[in-house]
Amino acid sequence: MKNCEQFRELVEAYALGALDPEERAALEAHLATGCADCSKAVEEARWLVSQLAYAAPEAAPSGMLKGRLIQSVRAEAAAKPHVMPTRSVISSWLWAAVAALLVFSLYSTWNMRRLQDEIRQANDRAAALLQQRQKTEQQLAAAKREAMILMDPSSVKISLAGQNAQGPQLEVKWHAQLGVVVMGENIPMPSPHHVLQLWFIPKAKGAKPMPSMMAWPDANGKFILLISNPPESMDATKALAITEEPEGGSPWPTSTPRWSGGVS
Amino acid sequence: MFLAAFTSTGHPEVSLDATLLSRLLQKDVSAFEQLYDRHSRLVYGLVLRILQQASTSEEVVQDVFLQLWRNADQYDSSRGPFVPWLCTMARNRALDQLRLKSERQRRREDQPDELPPLVVAPDYEKALDEKRRAERVRALMASLAPQQKKAIELAYFEGLSHSEIAAALKEPLGTVKSWIRNGLLRLKEGLRATT
Repeated sequence: MKNCEQFRELVEAYALGALDPEERAALEAHLATGCADCSKAVEEARWLVSQLAYAAPEAAPSGMLKGRLIQSVRAEAAAKPHVMPTRSVISSWLWAAVAALLVFSLYSTWNMRRLQDEIRQANDRAAALLQQRQKTEQQLAAAKREAMILMDPSSVKISLAGQNAQGPQLEVKWHAQLGVVVMGENIPMPSPHHVLQLWFIPKAKGAKPMPSMMAWPDANGKFILLISNPPESMDATKALAITEEPEGGSPWPTSTPRWSGGVS
Repeated sequence: MFLAAFTSTGHPEVSLDATLLSRLLQKDVSAFEQLYDRHSRLVYGLVLRILQQASTSEEVVQDVFLQLWRNADQYDSSRGPFVPWLCTMARNRALDQLRLKSERQRRREDQPDELPPLVVAPDYEKALDEKRRAERVRALMASLAPQQKKAIELAYFEGLSHSEIAAALKEPLGTVKSWIRNGLLRLKEGLRATT
């Protein structure tokens, strides 16, 4: 086993690279133990050996070598500080922009669909409200018209007697300009899939009954029917009748009138 | 990775190298050009002395300076002298090329493809200018016995080991070891006396 002094005799040759493998391995093993003095001696020996470079005669390389080197480093200097970082920065910004655009696009699509759904639902609600309003207005107009027909003294009252004399009767008020109102209470429901249909029976000989409006009594048996535009004028009408017809009505009577009455 | 160590001596030549190296960190091409102009003759002379062929020597010098350019950001200029480090790298590359060329294939175990290891100037080192340092080293080498000088040159410029030198000079191994160590110690004392 060598001591530090013995290893110290090897450091110059070690720095020179002249030690044979066995001695080099032994010294390196010693250095690996962390011997600070020998490590410093090796570092100084390297400096000493490096001074041998001055023993070589100086010589000038060709101008072409310098030209090639400067050209290379200029190309690398132009590429590294500018292109690489710039590309990296641009890439980062691009990714950020793409990510932001994607998020914005997804949000916009989702928001557009949400808004479209809301608009469609609002339109549906508006259409329903409008329909309801129109229906209400129509009902109100009909109610007003019915009231006017019923209240107007010029309206002609016509009674429609039922087949059963003990059964309920229907009353008709006919206004020459406003139309006809047919009313009744405790009116029985027609047979299933049937409806009560009003007929105008012309005075003209051989003329067929003119089909008119259809309706059902309500749950309380109350029946009311407004005919704003009668198919015949009062003068040309001989009688009114109500038959029970299949749902959707008939162009001509298919059953015996359940109520009928002459127009005086 | 750069492990070279600089010891700042305060000499203007060393300070200029340190300034140029710090500019090299900023990829300053003009600093690189100045470093090349200052040291390419020494480096090329060393490599040419080893390889004895101009074209191959220029390839090695180009490799050395490109390595310096590309690894400047890993270089700690406060930890050791620059020129010894540069010469150590150049010598390692040249010897590697020489071994490759001669098919000796005895590669150094300290992996010469890597950057050179720590180099620390001794306390007595006072930076001489390059010209005076070269004159002093050549004078000291010339003062050695021819066989002693030859042994050191075979080790330094041709990368031969003690045994290979002994075989080449047909001298006993112990004699060669003594020649080399004593010659280097004389060089060391001569440089110390100069400063």
